[in-house]
Amino acid sequence: MKLEELVKVIDARMLQPGRKEMGEIAHVFAGDKMSTLLEKAGPETLLVTSLANTQLACVAELMDCPALCLVDGVDPDPSLLEAAARGSTAVLVCPFDMFETCGRLHRRLYGEGPHRP
Amino acid sequence: MITSSFPIAGGNFTAAGSASRMLKEQLKRIGVEGQIMRRIMIAAYEAEMNVVIHACKGNLWVRFDNKRFNMEVIDEGPGIADIALALKPGYSTASAEARQLGFGAGMGLPNIKKASDVFEVDSRAEKGTRVRSTIYLKTQTVGEPTDHCLSITSELCNGCFDCLKACPTRAVRVWNQKPRILAALCIGCTACIAACRRGVFGIREPDQKKMPQQSVAEAGQDTLVIPRAFLTQFGLKIPPRLVMAVLRILGFKDIRFSEEWEEELRRTVRRYAAEQDSYPVISPICPAVVNLIESQFPSLIGQIAPFMTPIESAVEAYGLQPVTFVAACPSQYALLTRADLSGRLQITSPAGLSAQILPLITAQTETDRSEQKPIPRPPRTGNHDPTVLEAWGMENVIDILEKTEKGLSGDFRILELSCCVYGCYGTPLFKENPFMAKNRWAASLLGRRRQVSAAPTNSLYLARTGMRLDQDMGKAIEKLARIDELTAGLPGRDCGACGAPTCSSLAEDIVMDRNPGLECVILRGRGES
Repeated sequence: MKLEELVKVIDARMLQPGRKEMGEIAHVFAGDKMSTLLEKAGPETLLVTSLANTQLACVAELMDCPALCLVDGVDPDPSLLEAAARGSTAVLVCPFDMFETCGRLHRRLYGEGPHRP
Repeated sequence: MITSSFPIAGGNFTAAGSASRMLKEQLKRIGVEGQIMRRIMIAAYEAEMNVVIHACKGNLWVRFDNKRFNMEVIDEGPGIADIALALKPGYSTASAEARQLGFGAGMGLPNIKKASDVFEVDSRAEKGTRVRSTIYLKTQTVGEPTDHCLSITSELCNGCFDCLKACPTRAVRVWNQKPRILAALCIGCTACIAACRRGVFGIREPDQKKMPQQSVAEAGQDTLVIPRAFLTQFGLKIPPRLVMAVLRILGFKDIRFSEEWEEELRRTVRRYAAEQDSYPVISPICPAVVNLIESQFPSLIGQIAPFMTPIESAVEAYGLQPVTFVAACPSQYALLTRADLSGRLQITSPAGLSAQILPLITAQTETDRSEQKPIPRPPRTGNHDPTVLEAWGMENVIDILEKTEKGLSGDFRILELSCCVYGCYGTPLFKENPFMAKNRWAASLLGRRRQVSAAPTNSLYLARTGMRLDQDMGKAIEKLARIDELTAGLPGRDCGACGAPTCSSLAEDIVMDRNPGLECVILRGRGES
């Protein structure tokens, strides 16, 4: 699914556009621990997190992850956006909390039923 | 072989990740991608963050060729009190600041371990921690062989081609009277060194930058690991005990012998073999034989006992401590340089250390004559286990491995195969006759037994792809057909006059365009092309 479609689903603002030729988002992973984000991030993954520090952009860049979604309408530090720009990682900010954000994304990507990619 | 070093500043969460990013840029340029890149990045970033979170500073060293990626991260931190606990997922001692940023999940070391093919962590309280990770790179680039550890003095070559015939893996070429090694095929066995009467081949002398002219004590390296044979290389009048004394004068307080780990490996493999169902178990006692199996007998890799070679176990035993090693052959030299990413080892050839001690030995012999009488000791008899096949010499080793492949050596429990006679006593880098050297050592009564251990290894041994004809399998098949076609048109004498050891090697060299203008000397004489 295109990132733009997911942006609409979660009413997100795109603070930092990602790479020009953004591919499809096939997986979403939500977490607040850097090690698990690092392990799960990939070239088709959207990372959803309530963290908002520069290291997020570093993890995304190292793992070729195309986009980050920060929840709770957080106002990220400019250094995060700078680092994301360097790694061509898109940064979204979503007004909902983690639970609501994940619920909406899950419904849109996988439908109503229980599903784990 | 590429070696790089990236400094890591402890406590700096803003700059954190820069070492991993620089490493990624380097790896991208050589075509590493996909899952391998993911695994390397997970290992590198986690290791880097460990330094940032726990230490005041550190360094990330990497060395990689087209076969393996080796990473070593050493920090100057408090060390890990309980490594087993630190490896438990979820256990963390990270600060509140680190936890606030999303670190401290207790998954750092477990993640590195999971991403690595070989993972080691070593730590000393108040000194620091060393994390090592090896990840095998599955792809092999054509024409970009791994490095070899031989030195070649081309000016001495008279074009006799003895080396061509001696090399068991056909890795040597002599073009325009200049020997060359195809590194992807070289197993570091010393056959070319032994065969050459003019001393063209040798072991690489260490990097002068790493062998400073300062004394051993000043360099902080007072531990020395040598083959016992080194002590018996100075003739009848200079016995091992005297050489030991001179080495101590040079500043080496702790002198250890690589055979200590070799003997422990023998004992460990005997215990291991007792629990196995299929025989024979091959003991990884000689690194060149291991290379030979990885390169020429891949079907036997599963029979190698899962332990490190003795020289690697010796490196493991010293952890973070600086040590000087004398490499007895190119394969040992290669293992030592591969193990030493951080430069804490000083690696030297027997000739290199001899040059340092000879002036002192001369002075000692003039003052100390009492040490010159060797003490006779009766030879050991009995206790020989006939199910342990100990053999040496490349021809014998290859013959035994061929028979093992055919299932003709199942009556032996253990194969202890060495390229050189009596193991390292017979390396051509030592001048003394191996039988005399071994007995002189035995007579010296210097062998006190100390506790060492054979380091276990997981999946360390794997088939070497050797020299691939082409990255593209379709093109490789075409090239293979061309090699067969060319070989059929050659005389088949394997005379070596063209500089390649066999006619099929010449055909391969022509197809791979390894040297322009290659042709068969016999066909040229007949006026055929």
